[in-house]
Amino acid sequence: MKHVQGLWAASLCASLVVSSLPGIAEARSTPVAKGAEREGYPGQIRGDERILHALNRFTFGPRPGDLEAVKLAGLDAWFDEQLHPAEINNTALEVRLADYPAMTWSPEDLLFRLPSGAVIRQVIDGKAPMPERGALYAVYENAMTRVAAKRQEQELKRSLPVGAQSAADAKAPATMQLGADDTKAVSFAATSASMAQDAKPADPALDPKLESAVLAMPPRDRVLRLTKMAQPQFDAFFKGLKGPERQLLMSDLTPDLRETVGALENPERVVVEELMAQRLLRDAYSNAQLEEVMTDFWMNHFNVFLRKNEATPYYLVSYERDVIRPRALGKFEDLLEATAHSPAMLIYLDNMQSIGPDSTAAEKAKVAAARNPKNKKAPEGLNENYARELMELHTLGVNGGYTQQDVIQAARILTGWTVERPQRGGGFQFDERRHEPGTKKVLGRKFKEHGEKEGRDLLHMLATHPSTARFISRKLAVRFVSDDPPQELVDRMAKTFLSSDGDIAAVLKTMFHSPEFWSEDVYRAKVKTPLEYVVSAARATNASLTNLQPLVGALRDMGMPLYGCVPPTGYKWDAADWVSTGALVNRMNFALSLAANRLNGITTTWTAEETPTLTARQPALNLLADLDSDDAPAKPADAKPPATSQSATPQTEEARLETLLVGERVSESTRAAVLEQFEQQSSGAASAMPVAMNQNPNQARRAPAAVPLEKQDQLLAGLLIGSPEFQRR
Amino acid sequence: MEINRRFLLHKGALALAGTTAIPQFLVRTVMAQGAVHPNRRLVVIFQRGAADGLNIVVPYQEKNYYAMRPSIAIPQKQVIDLDGFFGLHPSLAAFKLLYDQGHLAIVHAAGSPDMTRSHFDAQDFMESGTPGVKSTDDGWLNRALEVEDLRHRQDHTAFRALALGADVPRTLAGKIPAIAISNVSNFTVGGRGPAPSPAASAFEAMYGSSGDRIFHATGEETFDAVKMLRAANPAQYKPAADYPNGEFSNNMKQIAQLLKANLGIEAAFTDVSGWDTHQNQGGVDGQLSNRLREFSSAIRAFWQDMGDDAAGITLVTMSEFGRTARENGTGGTDHGHANAMFVLGAGVRGGKVYGRWPGLANEQLNEGRDLALTTDYRAVLGEVVSKTLGADNLDRVFPGARLREEGFLHLMPGGTPRA
Repeated sequence: MKHVQGLWAASLCASLVVSSLPGIAEARSTPVAKGAEREGYPGQIRGDERILHALNRFTFGPRPGDLEAVKLAGLDAWFDEQLHPAEINNTALEVRLADYPAMTWSPEDLLFRLPSGAVIRQVIDGKAPMPERGALYAVYENAMTRVAAKRQEQELKRSLPVGAQSAADAKAPATMQLGADDTKAVSFAATSASMAQDAKPADPALDPKLESAVLAMPPRDRVLRLTKMAQPQFDAFFKGLKGPERQLLMSDLTPDLRETVGALENPERVVVEELMAQRLLRDAYSNAQLEEVMTDFWMNHFNVFLRKNEATPYYLVSYERDVIRPRALGKFEDLLEATAHSPAMLIYLDNMQSIGPDSTAAEKAKVAAARNPKNKKAPEGLNENYARELMELHTLGVNGGYTQQDVIQAARILTGWTVERPQRGGGFQFDERRHEPGTKKVLGRKFKEHGEKEGRDLLHMLATHPSTARFISRKLAVRFVSDDPPQELVDRMAKTFLSSDGDIAAVLKTMFHSPEFWSEDVYRAKVKTPLEYVVSAARATNASLTNLQPLVGALRDMGMPLYGCVPPTGYKWDAADWVSTGALVNRMNFALSLAANRLNGITTTWTAEETPTLTARQPALNLLADLDSDDAPAKPADAKPPATSQSATPQTEEARLETLLVGERVSESTRAAVLEQFEQQSSGAASAMPVAMNQNPNQARRAPAAVPLEKQDQLLAGLLIGSPEFQRR
Repeated sequence: MEINRRFLLHKGALALAGTTAIPQFLVRTVMAQGAVHPNRRLVVIFQRGAADGLNIVVPYQEKNYYAMRPSIAIPQKQVIDLDGFFGLHPSLAAFKLLYDQGHLAIVHAAGSPDMTRSHFDAQDFMESGTPGVKSTDDGWLNRALEVEDLRHRQDHTAFRALALGADVPRTLAGKIPAIAISNVSNFTVGGRGPAPSPAASAFEAMYGSSGDRIFHATGEETFDAVKMLRAANPAQYKPAADYPNGEFSNNMKQIAQLLKANLGIEAAFTDVSGWDTHQNQGGVDGQLSNRLREFSSAIRAFWQDMGDDAAGITLVTMSEFGRTARENGTGGTDHGHANAMFVLGAGVRGGKVYGRWPGLANEQLNEGRDLALTTDYRAVLGEVVSKTLGADNLDRVFPGARLREEGFLHLMPGGTPRA
């Protein structure tokens, strides 16, 4: 039997594998013929499971039909395709992403068209220009009015006697109170007053006529009408809208108009919501899955926390889109350099403010302080934060062989690496005045004074350092192989890293062709992070995601808010981080809600009648299927009579769901628990409690009408997605 | 009837506890068998954002305090005098009674020796218990519980280390399993109700017999916790005090609820934010004042709610750093250094402000701008954990701090933990 022969050959090779000589390593990396099984290495994953393993590790989870598709193409070919994302057809995803035009703008444009609190304050103080006219003017006006109203409220509260303070917590009049010298402000106040006259005099919250009139208007007119409302009326109007009415207001708007309305309400929120939505859509729907997986990896490795300051959300859009994703499968040094030049990183790790102690800027500050000793503003100086994290977290690793002195010297090299007009979306700027003069020494190497080039040379040294090769390789191995990857594998990957000038794709290839990657020990051994869990569940149930907020909320509840990792270490991929009592409760509840379509705007598109291919029931929502398949668009399926599915036995139905959702067989214990539930549901038992509570045993026999198959399937699917098996990849 | 304690903690008692067949009081007794000695519960509150210690515990005799804070200082006439030198912000009236009763102690000019002014670095350092060291990935409180185990092995419930909030904070991260509950009434699987949902039962069977070691263990723990909580009947809870409105108050109410339910909680944590008053901080009234009112009223209500059980509780507050002694150009204050900590407990020698006061004269300030540090926060926490939880190996709890009993402020009597 083939199996026995394999075993014999395996035992021969076992001793060779253990000794792990470089010669053997190279022999292993010789490509094997497409589709051929790798004989000879003990305990290797075989057959369909190899494909499922690859899908689980290199994507955010298999979708129904993925296994067959990859089988057809061949695993090696598929992997190679994934390493070349630019050549992958992603039309369907692009159609979905077209819903978020703002996500294509530069930081400067974003801050101008969806102004942050800082921008608004600058405009109020006359330090920044206000848009001339149009919807953008209304956006600014609303935002400014809100800020001014709040300031007014606080002024009022401070001037009132103690007792009346709480009473004043109620609405304060939203009149303008701006500096009289400020001509812009005065003209703004005048315009605002005249605009206020345009709006209906009555309190719109109590005016149902206004609401229905606005909702009845065609889209462009509707939005125009909204822009004409002064801020207090606008906010009151929106507050008065109930959920379904709000949806009615937005549902037929084009993406641009939708963004405008969002901006009228809260410009910054539009940026944050869209940033998170596009990220989840990409993770769930992109055909270039490995690119998204690697983007997630690098976004964690080069972590930037969303709420570092008011401009960070705006910079994050460009950071992910322009800095990280295009380089996710390229050269590590390119990635490192790009992050080191990115405003997002320079702000997050405080390098923006770092000033060389002997720099021109420092001299000036000393002179100013001497002239005015009373003004004890904190003297600006060297900030080591970025230099330290650059070495500790981005390149060498905490044990990579650098000292505190190296950190200080590196910090000096990086002085002057700053951002111009950071609150307005400016880009990288090398400020010579802040740069520390003199020669620096890092890791034994001298860096002669040379402005920005010193930093570039430093980055090159770090990017090509053997410690970096090991550190990055190990991190990749932890993400893709196991929580404690074998040292031989890491060493092999590090070797490729160094010999390929830090080519990430090459390192991944080495990993892909290593027996350690295919060892049975690591099959389904990794615990999914909350992001991987939530997205894999959406993919397994072929969910249509018209509203991403439930997923954003679920991630927050599970302890992994998107872009929300505060410390620069980023989220980790170790099981210990994600397995806890609270986490499990959240995951189980999420699974049940998702499968039962209780998440607002998220519909799983499989049903009892659905076969595991991407047929569309609602073409408008499930664009992915429509545009990807060569077949004619599926007509909305006629409701098939339930009779066909009632012929299914519990076992077959459960098995079908297993295949559909988990992709393979689950353990006996899981199957037993799920089947018991199925039987309970089919017989109409009201409770699964082993100890009969208030039920008369005889009553249980006389079952009421069986729970409809669809509902049963939903519970079963929920159980399978919440199962221990589905927690792993 | 001899009741085997170990047995009770597992399937037997809990299955019993899940039914309505047994009277409630017996259920409580059954679970109390596994409850720890009542004298060992610690409640930790983290004020995130750097609370302004100088306006919270006001050194009203310091002339420079008024010179440096022309618009936001608390007038001497309006502070709640404590000892002739310090006074409480008027919105902390709820604390005055506890102070006078001798339960509330204050440590001023305390905090972390690390000079970072970054919120997240400082919070991280304070919670990990190793200021300046970024590679620590667990928290001081988790290590304290671990140390307690090393000294005295005991069975624990899933609720031993509880965080009231969405996730387990760094303070409680580590080897000892901790549980985060954001809302007591939502801590169920597949919906609320007097009985477990069909889904919950199915999941329980699934995880209970799973060959997956990690998920088997965590799964069991999870369902134990859900059942214990259900048996404690949270829906019927009526607090014995009036809590103010607000998220923090709600969290304190739930902590009290859970502590009284005899679930085996040893350490509870929650945080409260909104202290980062860079602008328009206000003085007697305003942003900070409003925060302080809820803060103190909620803690006072918690104390009252606990009633007789308060005898075994120690509560301690902290914030990552204080704020600048001088007000800034926008009616607020910026990131500073030393701060004020509160320690509340029946076993606390309260009614006193501890710590050496460094003074607020210009030359006495840290870097010319902040209140200088004279007490390392680890000395405070070290004393508290050793006398509350019985964690005596402080070198393990706070590595590098070299804490010794001589360095304690003696906020609490005695030095020997419970037998």
